[in-house]
Amino acid sequence: MSEAALSIKSVDKIYEGRGKGPVHAVKNLDMDVQRGEIVALLGSSGCGKTSTLRMIAGFEEVTRGDIVLEGRRVNQMPPARRKVAMAFEGYSLYPPLTVRDNIAFALKSARMSPKDAQKSVADVARILEIEPILDRYPSSISGGEQQRASLARALVRQADLYLLDEPMGQLEPRLRAVLRGRLKSLLVDRRMTAIFVTHDQTEANALADRVAVMEGGVLQQFASQKDLRERPANLYVATFVGEPPMNVFESKVTNGDRVRFAIDNGPTFDFADSDIPQSVRSAIGGRDKVVIGIRPHAVRLGVGSDHARIVSNQWLGDQSHLAMEVAGKLMVAVSHAPIPARAGESLRFGVSASDLHVFDASTTAALSHGLEAA
Amino acid sequence: MANLELRSVSKAFKTGKVLDRISLAADNGEIVAIFGPSGSGKTVLLRLIAGVEQPDEGTILLGGRDVTDQAPETRGVGMAFQNFALFPHMSAFDNVASALTAHKVPRDVIRAKVEKVATLLKIEHVLGHAPRELSNGQKQRTALARALVAEPKILLLDDPLRNVDAKLRYEMRLELPSLLKASGSTVLYVTQDYKEAMALGDRIAVLSDRDFAQIARPAEIYRTPATLNVASLFGDPTINLMPVEPVASSGGPRIGIGGAELSLPRDYGHMAGKACVLGLRAENIVVEDVGTPESLPVAVVAVTPLNERTLLLLRTDDGRELLASEAGTNEAPRRHGPAFARFDPGAVLLFDPASGRRILPQAA
Repeated sequence: MSEAALSIKSVDKIYEGRGKGPVHAVKNLDMDVQRGEIVALLGSSGCGKTSTLRMIAGFEEVTRGDIVLEGRRVNQMPPARRKVAMAFEGYSLYPPLTVRDNIAFALKSARMSPKDAQKSVADVARILEIEPILDRYPSSISGGEQQRASLARALVRQADLYLLDEPMGQLEPRLRAVLRGRLKSLLVDRRMTAIFVTHDQTEANALADRVAVMEGGVLQQFASQKDLRERPANLYVATFVGEPPMNVFESKVTNGDRVRFAIDNGPTFDFADSDIPQSVRSAIGGRDKVVIGIRPHAVRLGVGSDHARIVSNQWLGDQSHLAMEVAGKLMVAVSHAPIPARAGESLRFGVSASDLHVFDASTTAALSHGLEAA
Repeated sequence: MANLELRSVSKAFKTGKVLDRISLAADNGEIVAIFGPSGSGKTVLLRLIAGVEQPDEGTILLGGRDVTDQAPETRGVGMAFQNFALFPHMSAFDNVASALTAHKVPRDVIRAKVEKVATLLKIEHVLGHAPRELSNGQKQRTALARALVAEPKILLLDDPLRNVDAKLRYEMRLELPSLLKASGSTVLYVTQDYKEAMALGDRIAVLSDRDFAQIARPAEIYRTPATLNVASLFGDPTINLMPVEPVASSGGPRIGIGGAELSLPRDYGHMAGKACVLGLRAENIVVEDVGTPESLPVAVVAVTPLNERTLLLLRTDDGRELLASEAGTNEAPRRHGPAFARFDPGAVLLFDPASGRRILPQAA
């Protein structure tokens, strides 16, 4: 039996279009999720994340490939038999039951004693702050409350896998950070295996051990949020992940006695060959054009040989965002402390070799991250 | 000199009072962000200044002139709305110029003015395009150009970035202040996004409960919010709030939280024995493995990375929850379990639980 709680093996999903031709929503997806792991499927709308979740749940047929849950191939198994608990949009609460009875319903059918069931409901209600609405009916509570009630209903169940669709999407800001923390604590403490879909990278990063970034039906990268940020596999991931995302510039590269990146219509970053390890130089090879990337937190301010005009310098309470005009666009630098500079002034900036990301200009695949080849 | 002044302005609709004797003065060229939750009356305020609504009482002065009873078109006020709608059958140039043609400006003057503002907004190369040929960002800039080209002394912007995607919204947030400054207009900028208010406003006027709860510079609002409500509206995560009751001691006032006793600055001595709400921002809490006499034993319940920061959900021995936010992304597995939280007493805010107002320190 496989170690993984879930294996998605070479899965395709093709919707036969009505009149318009088929839509290839998920392309050759391979993914393993370990027991106790929390995984986010992250992407913009139409990226294939929701189709993937619905195939795992059994709401959509798999066009090609296999879905294996706890060692069992489940392609043909109906949703109710898959031992998955779900909180989905459209998988709504039963209108004739109170929120409490909705949550307890699955526990009764699992033959849990009424006393234990009441305790489970009370615990999850406290965690998600829905105690005051437990005796209300779904039609009389807000959208955000319905979402939390539906989440509670999934979380109280015993299941091999928890599938959650935008679990915290509608929460008001006041509750969001605390509830995310409590939800993560619950999932981690009970070693629940969970997969959730979100378009919000803040939510993905906060909750997930690993994040699967999807775009155009293709899995772009499946890694920890730290790796997504520090070792993005391609330009799509580099410019999608990160708040704000990586600054990227097309540049000419000279890979000789010195390594020079000359940004089109912008500055040149010039490194001694000793600054750039051989592995990185080999990865760049004989290319004469690449795309270089610098994370906003890695832009060094007040040092370096280049100047740029400051477009804005905005303090947001716990961080500063400074925008400079570089090569006809904005380069953003972010600092945890206020930056003593004013819009309109000119400021020196630079980048360390250890913070420079290099991407192939045509395939967009990463070539190197700092001092390591990709 | 104040270019725009509201004196004790009120407005009620059938559903009730929306604005209750509000006052505001904005200087020439100043950007004031009008910030508040939806339904707090922000748009009504703009409509009163534009003259499309009449106040029930109070005075509106523009450039020192009482315009309370004047028609909208004589007020020299430009306005742009959430949707920034463009005329689809007209080129970008004609869309921008439409703000001037109504005023019978000569054609060569129109051309010069449109080109000047288009250069500022980097749309000079697409002026001949129809709206459908423009990117969303270019549409946004074209609409803004139309608002700016008439060189209004007062520019009212009603949540202009509300309906644009996150990426463009972020870029515009970085660029708008210098564009607005270059126009020289006095700007009232309505938003529901506290980051946008902090990023764009020279000052922020926080509208809450029919009146301005605070009008101040962004850093001042963030560090010394006038009320509990203002404190909660600014910051991500939301500020930690806890009921406490300071007690007097020889070393100054102290508060008990979760079995620990922590010092407050001496100038809160006057609050001894009185119920307060303690406000502490997540980034002012330091979580350590080793305790000091001035730290609070906590359990780290969850570690949730937030951008380039790390949020820690902490639980005290008496079951209170606190959020701490650390710079950087330390994800060491040690993080769950017992730890100690320490905070700079100087970062502590105290509020009156009844009125919600911040309690000011008083020299002992």
